[in-house]
Amino acid sequence: MKALDVLRGAWRESRGSGPRLLFFIACLALGVAAITGVSGLVDAIEQALVAQSRELLGADVSIQARRPIDAKVDEFLAFDAQRERAQARETPTLVAFGQRSKLAELKAVSANFPFYGRIVLEPDGRLGEVLDEQSCAVAPELANELGARVGDELSIGGKPYRIAALVRDEPGRLDIGFTLGPRVFVTLEGLARSGLEQFGSRMRYRELYRLPSSPDERRIAQLKREVNEGIEDAAYLRIESHREAQPTVRRSLRQVESYLGLVALLSLVLGGVGVAQIVRAWVASRTQAVAVLRVLGARPREVLAMYLTHVALLALVGSSLGALAGSFAPHLVARIAADLLPSGFELSWSPLALLRGLGLGVGIALVFSTPPLTAVWRVSPARVLRTDIEPLPAPRAVAWGAAALVALGLFAAAWTQSRELTVAAGFTAALAVLAGALALGARALTRLAAHVPRERLNPYLRNGVAALARPGIGVVGATVALGFGVLVITLMALVESRLSERLRNALPTDAPSVFLLDVQPDQRESVRELATRQGAVNYSDVPVLTARLASINGVSVRDIAPGRAEAKGREQWVLMREQRITWASTLPADNRVVAGELWSDPQRLELSVEKDFAEDLGVGLGDRLAFDVQGVEIEFAVTSLRTVEWESFGINFFLMAEPGSLDHAPHSVLAAVRLEPAQEASLQRELASSAPNVTPIGVRAILEKVLAVLSKLAAAVRVLGLFTILTGLVILAGVASSSAVHRGREVALLKTLGLTRAGVVTLFGIEFALVGLVAGAIGATAAFALAWVFLERVVELGAELPWAALPAATLATALASALCGLAANLRALASRPIESLRG
Amino acid sequence: MTAVPRLECIALTRTLPSGGQALTVLDHVDLSISAGEFCAILGPSGSGKSTLLGLLAGLDRPTSGEILLDGERIDDKSEDQLSLLRRAKVGFVFQSFQLLGNLTALENVLLPLELAGVRAAPARARELLEQVGLGARTHHYPSQLSGGEQQRVALARAFGPRPSVLFADEPTGNLDAATGARILELLSELHQREQTTLVLVTHDPSIARHAQRRIHLRAGRVERIEEGVSV
Repeated sequence: MKALDVLRGAWRESRGSGPRLLFFIACLALGVAAITGVSGLVDAIEQALVAQSRELLGADVSIQARRPIDAKVDEFLAFDAQRERAQARETPTLVAFGQRSKLAELKAVSANFPFYGRIVLEPDGRLGEVLDEQSCAVAPELANELGARVGDELSIGGKPYRIAALVRDEPGRLDIGFTLGPRVFVTLEGLARSGLEQFGSRMRYRELYRLPSSPDERRIAQLKREVNEGIEDAAYLRIESHREAQPTVRRSLRQVESYLGLVALLSLVLGGVGVAQIVRAWVASRTQAVAVLRVLGARPREVLAMYLTHVALLALVGSSLGALAGSFAPHLVARIAADLLPSGFELSWSPLALLRGLGLGVGIALVFSTPPLTAVWRVSPARVLRTDIEPLPAPRAVAWGAAALVALGLFAAAWTQSRELTVAAGFTAALAVLAGALALGARALTRLAAHVPRERLNPYLRNGVAALARPGIGVVGATVALGFGVLVITLMALVESRLSERLRNALPTDAPSVFLLDVQPDQRESVRELATRQGAVNYSDVPVLTARLASINGVSVRDIAPGRAEAKGREQWVLMREQRITWASTLPADNRVVAGELWSDPQRLELSVEKDFAEDLGVGLGDRLAFDVQGVEIEFAVTSLRTVEWESFGINFFLMAEPGSLDHAPHSVLAAVRLEPAQEASLQRELASSAPNVTPIGVRAILEKVLAVLSKLAAAVRVLGLFTILTGLVILAGVASSSAVHRGREVALLKTLGLTRAGVVTLFGIEFALVGLVAGAIGATAAFALAWVFLERVVELGAELPWAALPAATLATALASALCGLAANLRALASRPIESLRG
Repeated sequence: MTAVPRLECIALTRTLPSGGQALTVLDHVDLSISAGEFCAILGPSGSGKSTLLGLLAGLDRPTSGEILLDGERIDDKSEDQLSLLRRAKVGFVFQSFQLLGNLTALENVLLPLELAGVRAAPARARELLEQVGLGARTHHYPSQLSGGEQQRVALARAFGPRPSVLFADEPTGNLDAATGARILELLSELHQREQTTLVLVTHDPSIARHAQRRIHLRAGRVERIEEGVSV
């Protein structure tokens, strides 16, 4: 048979079955739309997240150092020819107005700062335009404390600067542990005029980059490596991308990114299962035609080639429609839930994305239609004589070949979606195991049904059990497809509800709006009283001590740091920076010990370290850390590691010492308090007169920004989850319906034998429900297992799964299977007994 | 006073829509069949035999006219009422056997017995399969049986609940001559043993010979009626 004949045959096969073909194409389109739709939404949300996190940093990449940054660094960013650079310098300094003076954080910026987000000024204006060499913009709390107003002249470094505006909001990280005072903005020229740069010991230098090529995390990691290798003593540089900038949302961003990846992968399963089941139903309806072809002398492989060509043609049409429809999904979401997508997000029709969706769709359609198409091999030519002839066994090579093709195709598609080899391999392996479990479960069910002493069962139940026991009617295929559908829906529901619950709970609705720096130990009670009188809620305070790390396990950090250059860039910086240590007998509520035990060793001074920070430091349980506390070395042993929910905005520290160990070292107290805006101003005034050394820092603006990001993340997770679940339900219904073979004749016969309509419904319902029960049990169990792995291991959220929902999901599947099966047979159920006479 | 006929129809008419026009398939057929009678309905293709059978058995509804089973009208009953009626009183044998492929031979026979609430149904089912010579094949699926064997299972199934009337629609139509003869023999045997009223539809006069009465249909009307076994 020549290729042309195959094509011609395929074409002929398409004629004369118009409505069925339309249905097939529609179903294929649905499967592909699921893939492209989810993939498009994932892309859109990812873009939105990038836009959000850029706003928080004000740039794509920030390079920070304690001394002027080597001009060579810019060369490493040459990969983006369109890059733009802004500069900033920060230093704590005294700002005076009349007789009053205050420690403030001076920030000198170039006119193009920031690239993303906006510095909100009062009166309104752009910082770059408002400021000149002679002026400054200050935080309202500073103006308040000094008693100055816009237009007044402040003294910085002994030079006069007119207050041009108040700073209501600025993009940037909230790193309260390192903030020394309220903000003052000047221009770079203004800074030069102050002469402060000469004493540059406390000056922080920053180069901020806008990179239109928006490099991904891998590119940023490469950049860090290149800088480390290319610049001598690179330890002084700290390179950050917008993804790492905001500790309060960093973890949520990471979790949501993993989640998006999971959804994209699951959409492949959904689409694939949908396609496979539709092809199965379609092939089943063409059996008679295949038998005739076989009688006329066509070899199985020729028939297969013909049908494969046929499916390919249909897949192309269906996938094109599906890819087009799917690419509407983000636009639809943008239309109905516009506030989900942040300001930086632009909807665009990307031909590349469309093409990728099309390729993915056609690929998945072809790959997943192979196993059901092998049924062509099994059609006996004798079927032209008798319709109830047993199917022939498929050659082993064909069965295994089809399975291998699916595994390979799935792996390739997963790789395309996740862009990670290990993830794709793990995903494919997990699905292969699940497919095996489902097939085994279905076989076991068939066996069991064959051996149940059916004579003792009631006739309705018996017919259901008998239907399962009958060999070769596709129970295995239906169970596998149904099980995968259940897997996707249950997994999605579990992960989505847990993740969005966490994101909602993480919303810092009662987070502090003002931090009070430099409270002296003997002022602790009076400041607390003062704040409480102002109506403060959630007042908390902790002792803070500043120290440098001297040695790890007896080896000086000066000796350790250079060796770190080979590894991650951050670690060096972490070793050298000024460390802030607190101490308390119990952990704050947003902390969780994940290794070791808190204050468990009476012999040594103990230290509890935040888990990620411990990794950066390169220390673990049992390691000894010595700190230089104002010239005195104090050594601690790490006895516990903990995780911190930074999203809570509470006062949290990477390093926490055993209570009592540092009481006598010179330290200050950091307080956090939540106040209404009016009370904030009043507290500031009170503090200015009764405790002028205390510096209040307002964080309301950034708090609200983080709040907005987190609630958008939660909403995005929810929308995407519901979209996937909905698509899953549609496909599941399709699977359940298409596995319920049209039973018109059987209904007519059963009615002829005296079964009422209710009786037929019961009988069929039980049969479909039993398949659903097995598929549901295995699929839901797998979903719980995968959800546990994902929540516990991938996003480290702690998998508190609603295990009671496992039997519920199983029963729901049985019910859904029964309902869909019956719905698919509505016409059949209406068959009239007279039809049994028509042979 | 004569006994109430087992099955009776009066002015039975059935029209079917056909190309925008009403096609009269059965035209005012009057018929009366007494209890225990073996009656054959004969006629060429399109004469209305199967339609008549479907109506008499309550599988279909007439356009006009009445059908009475044991003196009770059945033409005005609902689908479910008819189902219950068939369950209690009517048996069927089809040309294409119509066994349920999911069920074994025994289970096929059991189904109507249980629906009719027959006590000791398994024993009765086995006995019937024994009588049709399939005692050793009770656990075979229809696809594992030959055509003749399948039709024998269908016979056992039909006679199981001791129906008042048994309808057979070309029961040997799909079988070779020898097998067909054996099925017919069995049918007659069972009919006599169970005292069932038997209505057989065929186009083959050699089969109709076995009946006590032969009703010839032509173009939807009763053409003539022959009495007496002509074997």
